Amino acid sequence: MAAPYAVKLALQSLKKDKWINLLSMLTIFSGLFIFSLSYLIFYNVEAATRNLPEKFSLVLYLEDNLTRDNIDEVMASVRSRREVAAATYISKEEAFRELKATLKNSQYVLEGIDDNPLPDSIEVKLRKDAMSSEPVRKLAETAKKIKGVSEVDYGEKFLSTLHDIRKGVRIVGIILASLLSIGVVFVCYSTVKILFYRRNDEIETFKLLGATKSFIRAPFLIEGAVIGASGGMVSLAALYVLQHFVIFRMAAEVPVFRTMLFPADFFLSLPLIGMFLGISGAVIALGRLKF
Amino acid sequence: MEPAGPMIHFQNVSKEYENLTALHDLTFSVERGEMVFLTGPSGSGKTTLLKLIYVAEMPDHGSITIAGWDTTTLREASIPFIRRNIGVVFQDFRLLDNRNVFENVSLALRIRGVGEREIKSRVADALKTVNLRHKADSYPRRLSGGEQQRVVIARAIVAEPTVLLADEPTGNLDSETAEGVMRTFKDIHAKGTTILVATHNRDLYRNSGKRIFRLHGGALVGEEVC
Ligand SMILES: Nc1ncnc2c1ncn2[C@@H]1O[C@H](COP(=O)(O)OP(=O)(O)O)[C@@H](O)[C@H]1O
Ligand SMILES: [Mg+2]
Repeated sequence: MAAPYAVKLALQSLKKDKWINLLSMLTIFSGLFIFSLSYLIFYNVEAATRNLPEKFSLVLYLEDNLTRDNIDEVMASVRSRREVAAATYISKEEAFRELKATLKNSQYVLEGIDDNPLPDSIEVKLRKDAMSSEPVRKLAETAKKIKGVSEVDYGEKFLSTLHDIRKGVRIVGIILASLLSIGVVFVCYSTVKILFYRRNDEIETFKLLGATKSFIRAPFLIEGAVIGASGGMVSLAALYVLQHFVIFRMAAEVPVFRTMLFPADFFLSLPLIGMFLGISGAVIALGRLKF
Repeated sequence: MEPAGPMIHFQNVSKEYENLTALHDLTFSVERGEMVFLTGPSGSGKTTLLKLIYVAEMPDHGSITIAGWDTTTLREASIPFIRRNIGVVFQDFRLLDNRNVFENVSLALRIRGVGEREIKSRVADALKTVNLRHKADSYPRRLSGGEQQRVVIARAIVAEPTVLLADEPTGNLDSETAEGVMRTFKDIHAKGTTILVATHNRDLYRNSGKRIFRLHGGALVGEEVC
């Protein structure tokens, strides 16, 4: 019975103070929109780097003049390692052919090189869970000690850079998300606080007539929820527009955007996130009501 | 059932505002179903005394019981429910300017969660009692002082409270309308409502046969039956 009246009061107030409400709704929208853009970047960096390690491999260069048996022994001992997903033997001839193919438009690089300068090698693919710089470094060290292995090459720098980038993006993401959430909560807080003071007289009268705290609170909570949720809905709409713009316009010209991913689940939850933040702001603004 | 005893009881009650003693060592009772008048010059503490009853202020000393409930030891969450048993005609009206007469009166029922249909009929009845049915759609600022006062009375009685407190309820009324308001109070009193009227208008209590409390400088200086 009281609920519809609380809704009515909330709608009345939304209409009466429409400029304050619109302004805070827009502020919440920009907060959530920036939030979503950062999430979009975060999400894409994560997605793009998740599969990178699969393409990454360790190369063991072998000593010259190893016998077939020697090579099999090295292969066996490499394969026995837990971190190794696959190991392929590449003979020096094969490697040279590949190099020639790669350089077919710049043959001059190889001019004057008649002898094959490349050693035999074993290409080692690693399991996904072993893909951070520390285990890889250890594996490289052990591999170097295997008899018949002359040198080990792996993208140490690349791996640790990748690791740092992911970590950096994550930290920046968390900080940004926290700051923006606090910002949105604060906007809802101050809006509700202003509305509350504007209606102070009315609230005082409600109390004297015997209204309970929840009766007084409900319209403000509804108002906070509506402001937050509409801010979320507007940012959802803006992201939808952005997505179309990126896919249909920018992707045609800039190839990077062609592979861009849009986390729909997250975006669809924006109105809910907005509503939650709006209610939180209202709760803080109302604080402890006194009679 | 409610415990026996007086409806309102003050025991050695004092109230101070900053350095000013608004009420000093008051002890009195108002019986259930009684109608009493509270009189005294401006600033003698009448409004403060009423505020202590509807728990808008707390005493600094002494205790106050309403229908057996000690307001000084009450849990805060119970205050709304005490207030729902008390209709107040505020000296400063406390009408909401952004709501029409009907909405102002209906607030007393809305905060109790009364349904829409019941609100319509009960508000109509209350407005009829104060002769303001034709003003239901008007806004307070468009009404005369006397009409506003009657809206406040309608709001105070619409929920049929056990206790009615009226603070200078005829302050803005001509003597004819004032008589009408007093007749309304007597009708409500006849139905068993306990009524406390604060006024300095002698005409209201002359020959009423009710008890009169006289306040002066915050102290109870006399009690008589007129
Ligand atoms: N909120 C307040 N703060 C400070 N002083 C007050 C307050 N309310 C009333 N007073 C003082 O208390 C005294 C009693 O006031 P009040 O109860 O309003 O008297 P009455 O209703 O009989 O005119 C007066 O001197 C008044 O100035
Ligand atoms: Mg007064």
